[in-house]
Amino acid sequence: MASIKLYFAVYVALLILAVTKVIFIEFFEYWTAVGAILVSAFTKSALIAYYFQHLREEPRAISWLVLISLAAVLLLAAAATYSIT
Amino acid sequence: MAEHSFPPRSSVKRWLVTTNHKDIGILYIVSSLFFFIFGGILALLIRTQLWTSGEFILSGSAFGQAVTAHGLVMVFFFLSPFAFGFANYIVPLQIGADDLAFPRLNALSYWLYFFAGMVFIVSFLQGGTIEAGWTLYAPLNLPAFMPSPGATTAILALLMFVGSVTASTINFIVTIHTHKADGLSLWHLPMFTWSILLTVWMMLIAFAALAAALLILGADHIFGAQYFTATEGGGLLWAHLFWFFGHPEVYIVFFPALGVMLETYQTFTGRRLIGRKWVILAMILVTLQSFLVWMHHMFLTTINLEIKTLMMAMTIGISLPFDLIVFAMIYTLLKGRIRYTTPFLFNFGALLLFILGGITGVFLGAIVLDYEFRGTYWVVAHFHYVMFAGGTALIGGLYYWWPKITGKMYNEFLGKLHFGIYFIGFNLLYFSMFLSWEMPRRVFTYHTGLETYNQMATIGGIILGASFLIMFYNLYTSYLSGPDAPDNPWEYSRTAEWATSSPPPLENFEGVPTYRNGFLEFEDRNAVADGGHVEHGHEPGRHPDHASWWPVTISFAGFLMLIGLAGLGEHFAYELLFIGGAAFVLLSAIGWGLEDFYAPEPLRGAKWPFDGVHKNKFGMWVFLASDIVIFGAFIGAYVFIRWGYGWEAWQNVPAESLPGLVNTFVLLTSSFTVILALVYAQRGNRRGVIAGLLATIGFAFTFMLIKSWEWNFLLPEAETLPEAVTMLVTLDFDVLFHTEGPAIDASIMHSTYYVTTGLHAIHVLIGVVALGYLAWRAWAHNAYIDGNERPVENVGLYWHFVDIAWVFLFPLFYII
Amino acid sequence: MWVFGHTGGGSDLRTQESVFEEIFLVFLVLGTIVGVVVIGYMLYNGWRYRASASDELEDPPVLGELPVGQGGGKKLALSFALSAIIVLSLIVWSYSAVIYVDQGPEMEENMEVEIVGAQFNWDFTYENGETLTDTLVIPEDQLVRFSVTAQTEPRLDVWHTFGVTELRIKADAIPGQTATEWVLADQQGVYLAECFELCGAGHSHMTADVIVVSQEEFDSWYELLSEDPDEAMENIPEPEEN
Repeated sequence: MASIKLYFAVYVALLILAVTKVIFIEFFEYWTAVGAILVSAFTKSALIAYYFQHLREEPRAISWLVLISLAAVLLLAAAATYSIT
Repeated sequence: MAEHSFPPRSSVKRWLVTTNHKDIGILYIVSSLFFFIFGGILALLIRTQLWTSGEFILSGSAFGQAVTAHGLVMVFFFLSPFAFGFANYIVPLQIGADDLAFPRLNALSYWLYFFAGMVFIVSFLQGGTIEAGWTLYAPLNLPAFMPSPGATTAILALLMFVGSVTASTINFIVTIHTHKADGLSLWHLPMFTWSILLTVWMMLIAFAALAAALLILGADHIFGAQYFTATEGGGLLWAHLFWFFGHPEVYIVFFPALGVMLETYQTFTGRRLIGRKWVILAMILVTLQSFLVWMHHMFLTTINLEIKTLMMAMTIGISLPFDLIVFAMIYTLLKGRIRYTTPFLFNFGALLLFILGGITGVFLGAIVLDYEFRGTYWVVAHFHYVMFAGGTALIGGLYYWWPKITGKMYNEFLGKLHFGIYFIGFNLLYFSMFLSWEMPRRVFTYHTGLETYNQMATIGGIILGASFLIMFYNLYTSYLSGPDAPDNPWEYSRTAEWATSSPPPLENFEGVPTYRNGFLEFEDRNAVADGGHVEHGHEPGRHPDHASWWPVTISFAGFLMLIGLAGLGEHFAYELLFIGGAAFVLLSAIGWGLEDFYAPEPLRGAKWPFDGVHKNKFGMWVFLASDIVIFGAFIGAYVFIRWGYGWEAWQNVPAESLPGLVNTFVLLTSSFTVILALVYAQRGNRRGVIAGLLATIGFAFTFMLIKSWEWNFLLPEAETLPEAVTMLVTLDFDVLFHTEGPAIDASIMHSTYYVTTGLHAIHVLIGVVALGYLAWRAWAHNAYIDGNERPVENVGLYWHFVDIAWVFLFPLFYII
Repeated sequence: MWVFGHTGGGSDLRTQESVFEEIFLVFLVLGTIVGVVVIGYMLYNGWRYRASASDELEDPPVLGELPVGQGGGKKLALSFALSAIIVLSLIVWSYSAVIYVDQGPEMEENMEVEIVGAQFNWDFTYENGETLTDTLVIPEDQLVRFSVTAQTEPRLDVWHTFGVTELRIKADAIPGQTATEWVLADQQGVYLAECFELCGAGHSHMTADVIVVSQEEFDSWYELLSEDPDEAMENIPEPEEN
């Protein structure tokens, strides 16, 4: 059973990460900002999944299940987009 | 509902309410055979038209509808449901389970399938069904080219079917991983169960991609979105999404048939499978590789040579595991005692046909040859030799398991006669297509030189069709007056379905099956129940439920809703039907939620690698995995189209990012409050649970409010933020429904924005319903604080996912 | 670039037809051999080990045993390796022709034609800007490069596929996308172009004539096309009988 304190800390971290996205686009060159924003988005998702969806307490296989579908659909998006370059 | 009120099989009511896997299996088999006849009649229409080279019985449009419906019906409404009829009936028996993990969800799967088929049939009555080929290439699949509502109805029918498949996928993944008998590890699963397990894993990802494609297509049809009309790659986008589903679909259809072959090759030779572990590894490899080859269906499009080469290499790669599987089956024949019963004749024939289909498939893997074969009868002949080889094995499966399912023996002579005529008809029909390979697909007139081959094919088609009259006659008389079948009619069968009566009792086995000592034994049911430690959700002494009205009710309501949705804007009656149907769906879903349905989880048995996860949570995660693919495919479609448009030339639709950022804060906070509800539930704090859930609902509404204001007011450039806030604060409710924003069809940028955030908004609304239900139960029934906080946890998992989706949508549609 | 096989007439130019026919033939011969061997082997053993002629089984499977395999991995690995070698070498060998087929031969002189599909016609636009519908005239032994697409203006059209079976050429015609294709026709005649992707009720009738005539005849007709298009369209040249 996790403490409310921990969840609150995660929540604050998420809020801060949300703000960074808006900041990156203002201060970085466009493609650098895109990269930084994506890193920020993936970090946020990982925090939510790991703590709020408590993947940290589940068998590793549940995480693999999630990662496999993520990988499949990223492959679809990346390969399809690459095919028209 | 207690067991004593479960009606007997002679009662019609039984078949409407049953949730038992064996009943559902029979329902699947019977319905799929109905669709087989339907698709077969369409095939005979096609073959009749092609008897002469000129105009004959069908118009160009009728022919287009016939080939499209034939393909869709055979692939979606016959082959897979037929296979899943066996999967439903046999898999729990083979793994020693009482039923599937979620029996009621299983009934829902069946009824969604049944009514999806009915929706599809309705599409014929609405000025004609869709006529774009089963691949539904864009932009021919859009109303601009097929204005009748029938085309939209057909797409919604497919969407409903995908819903059925998704529910089945979750059910079978959870069942096979967690409901195995004690001592039965994954590695030792019978081959048919292995094939179904890998099939559902492929379905999980492939059908989610199809769901995304059909949702986007539906948005194009109903709301006027512009995805597939976009000249920035709309046509290619469809091809990518469709084939990312479509290639794995070939194996999804074929694998269950392969499973039947692997079982029967062992039973009727009296040999165990040669190289069993290599066969399993090869099948796992195919499962993975099936997602890496989809562009070989697009070699002739404008995709670049690098990706074509990569896909070609992968395609060769995927043919190799199949070589191994074929050789393993052939070597299993050696040193056996082969008995050519009807089931084995069909499976022996299936392998012969599959070898031919495989060899002609290698031709298609070579890019230079594929360029020429594209769109010709070579492709038609090849995939019928592959897919219908699978069909052949499944028909063998029907004869194989018929005695188990009905308790009656069929007539062996008629069965063999069926096979003989079938096999001749099959080869006459499809081999003629190889000979006329230069003919384009889906033409209803052709040049005269090809008449002989086409007439041979037509004669073959009639012979093939006629052979099934023998089968139906044989099975009909067997069912009425055939001799009783013994428990195990096949010498050398090994798997557990033959170790119980024909047909098996409701709970499948008299005792509890176990393999603890390395072979199948049965333990006393009462001893196991008493000896097993009591877990949450296990109610000692309570019998499992087997009946519910809600699956058929929800599906029927969905049927009404979708028919109405397809005709929106056509006629007032459609709008009424849609609204009434939607309300009916919501009410019956609530009825489902309130029903106390008991389906216990087995206490023992290997669950690796999913040990310790409750089946509901496991099911939720499987569902979320498929939802990841749906959202990912929407985002992928956006990235693809934006790339085709010119990434940096693209204009984000929301003029300001602030409302999006505020909404990000709102959703993150709601994620925090929903986790608080779970913590309070674990601590037994009722008020905390209710407060957490209500706060979450409140944030969800805030999110939706900001969203709708944005859709309506932020978007027109003239409106400013403060102005919009003022209007909102004055609670001018009209504001929410008073659309002033630019329309969805204003540009591809608007289409992607509305459709993607719209999908997310629908997720939020579904979440609100679920959260509201939890809050009401917590308030009225003091639920979730008695140690069973699982519903709060599982809805929370979903809600966090909705949050994560927004984490990506916000930057993609507002910032970058 | 290495172009495999011998080419007729001492030139290193090959038509799409000859490239296709050669690869197709090799695949057909090997495919038939493999098919006959595998199916023959299967039928032979199916007959050889039929129940009425076989001995009692050693260690027969029993109902309820934990599913296990029967060994025999070595034989399996060997046949697998053999089939892998055949398939791999076939594909690698055929791949050497892909670049040639994709890009076409290098020739100093060539002409370009734009092909646009629209329900249910083919438009052929020459370099001089003149457009013929459902008829294409090209010169013999001359490299003709096509760019193939479907109509987007004034009205968006659907996906078609342009193909001439006898010349072994084919290209997808997708709205908003442009595919390339080439032809080197070495025999005069009238060839049938068809649509190979279902495009609506008129799909079957979406055909065109591809007329291959001698270079001289083409030149004089093309000149006429530039000067008096209507007259040229009335007087489509006819190929010589061989």
